[in-house]
Amino acid sequence: MLSVIAKQLKSHPALIPLFVFIGGGAAMSIAYLSRLALRNPDVSWDRKNNPEPWNNMKPDQQYKLFTVNMDYSKLKKEGPDF
Amino acid sequence: MAEEDIQAKLQNYRTAPFDARFPNSNQTRNCWSNYLDFYRCQKALDAKGVDTAPCDWYKRVFTSICPISWVQKWNDQREAGNFPGKI
Repeated sequence: MLSVIAKQLKSHPALIPLFVFIGGGAAMSIAYLSRLALRNPDVSWDRKNNPEPWNNMKPDQQYKLFTVNMDYSKLKKEGPDF
Repeated sequence: MAEEDIQAKLQNYRTAPFDARFPNSNQTRNCWSNYLDFYRCQKALDAKGVDTAPCDWYKRVFTSICPISWVQKWNDQREAGNFPGKI
């Protein structure tokens, strides 16, 4: 199957950008979905040992990729401990 | 030290501050988390026999963010014993 594709690419090299862009798009989707599945604080894979994963975050930990107006280094925990 | 801090914070309270655990516009979980934290804090401090006034921080936050209908529904559920969260 890969040899068929390689032969086609050799005879039509203009197809290479197609593979590059489609492959790049697929890689980006998979990367984002795995980031959501593994890093999102709303997702709990193990409800017995990790029931509220958002409580495991530090008060100044940044989850978003880009923040424009928020200075995360100045945040601290607000509520009292109990 | 923490007592005066929380009293000062309660006096200067205007609205719920930014919470890094909930950075997006959907604050449902923020409301739920503070509601749970208030009743857990009360339960824990009552069991220790300590004054539960610091727990009021969570109460102020959830009163600011939560829709009143949700709070009433959850209060009714707690009274009836149906409340789905772990307190």
